Amino acid sequence: MRLEDFLLMRHELLLTLIAIIILIAEIFTDDFKKQGIRPLSIILMAIVTIVGFLPAPTGTLFGGMYQATDMRLMMKNILNIGALIVFIQSASWLKSDDNQNKVSEFFLLLISTLIGMNFMISSGDFLMFYLGLELATIPIAALAAYDRYSNKSSEAGIKLILISALSSGILLYGISMIYGTVGSVYFDKVSVAYGATPLQIMSFIFFFTGMAFKISIVPFHLWTADVYEGAPVNVTSYLSVVSKGAAVFIFSIMLVTVFQNIAAMWKDVMWITAAITMTLGNLFAMRQNNLKRFLAFSSISQAGFIMLGIIGGSELGMAAVVYYILVYIFSNLGAFGVIAAISNASGGKENMSDYDGLYKTNPALSLTLTLALFSLAGIPPVAGFFGKFFLFTAVAEKGYWWLLTIAVLNTIISLYYYLLPVKAMFINKAETSIAYFKSDGWTKVGLIICVAGMVIVGFASVIFEYIRTLSFGL
Amino acid sequence: MDSQNKFMPQDYIPIMIQSFIVLGFVLTTMIMTHLLGPLRKSKAKLENFECGIEGMGNARSPFSVKYFLIAILFVLFDVEVIFMYPWAVNFRDLGANGFLDMLLFLGLLLLGFIYIVFKGALKWDNS
Amino acid sequence: MTFLFYLLAAVAILSALMVVFSRSPINSVIFLIICFLSIAGHYILLNAQFLAVVHIIVYTGAIMVLFLFVIMLLNLNTSNEPHKSQLTRITAVITGGLLLLVLIAATKDAVLIQAKNPADYNIGLVKQIGQTLFKQFLLPFEISSVLFISAMVGAVMLGKKDSKKN
Repeated sequence: MRLEDFLLMRHELLLTLIAIIILIAEIFTDDFKKQGIRPLSIILMAIVTIVGFLPAPTGTLFGGMYQATDMRLMMKNILNIGALIVFIQSASWLKSDDNQNKVSEFFLLLISTLIGMNFMISSGDFLMFYLGLELATIPIAALAAYDRYSNKSSEAGIKLILISALSSGILLYGISMIYGTVGSVYFDKVSVAYGATPLQIMSFIFFFTGMAFKISIVPFHLWTADVYEGAPVNVTSYLSVVSKGAAVFIFSIMLVTVFQNIAAMWKDVMWITAAITMTLGNLFAMRQNNLKRFLAFSSISQAGFIMLGIIGGSELGMAAVVYYILVYIFSNLGAFGVIAAISNASGGKENMSDYDGLYKTNPALSLTLTLALFSLAGIPPVAGFFGKFFLFTAVAEKGYWWLLTIAVLNTIISLYYYLLPVKAMFINKAETSIAYFKSDGWTKVGLIICVAGMVIVGFASVIFEYIRTLSFGL
Repeated sequence: MDSQNKFMPQDYIPIMIQSFIVLGFVLTTMIMTHLLGPLRKSKAKLENFECGIEGMGNARSPFSVKYFLIAILFVLFDVEVIFMYPWAVNFRDLGANGFLDMLLFLGLLLLGFIYIVFKGALKWDNS
Repeated sequence: MTFLFYLLAAVAILSALMVVFSRSPINSVIFLIICFLSIAGHYILLNAQFLAVVHIIVYTGAIMVLFLFVIMLLNLNTSNEPHKSQLTRITAVITGGLLLLVLIAATKDAVLIQAKNPADYNIGLVKQIGQTLFKQFLLPFEISSVLFISAMVGAVMLGKKDSKKN
């Protein structure tokens, strides 16, 4: 391999390098020095995130198996930002007695999922794609069961691994049909030879089902709420933001490249599932009292909104999807960050009624959560509004008026339930609201990044314009 | 030369015949013992024989998760070894590059193995 | 050859059905072993000798032992699996049957690609596999080592007893 090849793969190689550094640090340091692993991992991750943004060449490697284009690099950078925020937010949680002697494992497993996601996004053939997908999901299942002494956490781990095995099986069945009819696993060859024979349509259905499990699109969403509720808050936030983002990225890339010949068909499938996903996610979110379950259903309906951009299918739609994921990372991680901080400080209080009168005791956290929920709902001053706006534009541009109507109606419904926690914090009276507590430095930094992201990404139109210039380099 | 290098599924017929003989032998002996042997059912006859000590409790008590940890680590290294057969056969062909590729693969796995040992996952008694 | 294929396929399907239907989990595992062995036979019929051997070593050997371990770990003395209601069963049969019907209809007329070199009986040998694995598919091979490491770390993290905590 030449130096340029290393530069092309710098995201994955650097992540592998820091995984090795953390593993060596875990093996060869004594208990006292292990305290340093937490800041070390966060700083290394920050360096990788920054290095990812440096301009670098693009190209393909390994005979088209690995593809680095500007768009895919941008996607990886967005995922890196999300992972970095999760790292920072979990720093104070990892300090607790229960978690102290498995800190490096947490970082190691998260980094290996990130390696998998990056390879998945850069994949140019089904084998790489599948391997990346597995690498991105299996360690997460171990992390969902991280809290070993809680039954719910173990349950979440088991459910996640079973569902991911099932969906991978369905996905592989579809891929094997594609290989059987086309005779190649490379994306460029498949996209040319892919017709609309019955078997190929079946293969697409299987592929779609497998991916729908990973993104938790409605008929295949049943695992989401239980897993999100059972897993530790920081793992849930990673699962709902970074994992979902990576799956959406590769799914949209594959739909517009590999399956371009049957675009009319998958647009119909997506149309129906997007409408159901938005509506059902919203209807279930209204009835939740546990905030993690609440955000789980909210993330299901968000997935429905993201699908609008994919249905648009144009250059604008692709840019809108990537931009929306960026916004979604900041808003959802902001919401989860506040919930994690409160849950850790109050000994696991996660219900909406626990948040009554929070504004009186913890004004800063309440304002952050409010801002994050506004952004998720798409209320104008924050970035979420622009994200939704671009998604809607992408659909309207192609003339999907009915879908647009359903989406707008759903946005209005979602305003109602996103304001429920806000009402609890600001208006509801409580005899015993959660006492005032001081968050430590890491939590503050994590939340400040999220707030800054929500405000800046919305107002700096440069970012959207920049993403838009990239999208033809799929 | 050419006929020697051809591997046909038919080459497996001896193996198939052998496995049928093995299976047939086991089945025949099992069926024959049931048919030929006298059938006596008494309480003492049906009881489990535990070196003369009377059996107590349930045989199916759940056992320690340590066994499972060892087993799962065994499977991981078992799968790893699978990758080495094709490499070993092609060792000369692949040259230095192939050696380096394998070194990278094994280096990472070795790191994992050192981690397992240092964590004491293979230690049976860690009280 | 055709007769062997049908024999192996029948054994595979029957034993797979028995995995689902047998009451005792240990019996299920035994039938799964038979199922895997017949699939290994299919691999040999397809000239994939290496795959057949690997399948026997890893699946029938190692993974089945793991399955047995899991059955031992769980306390499966009493069968406390809730019975599904009649309605659930009927809907499951209908949906499963419909999927089967659609799949058969889709495969019936499918035009499959021809094998690239049907006369090449060496294709499944260890040497050929190695050539492909270490030249064309080198990158996936290296990534799998990361997967192995994360599996090890995850297993140790979940399975190891805390030395500090009782």
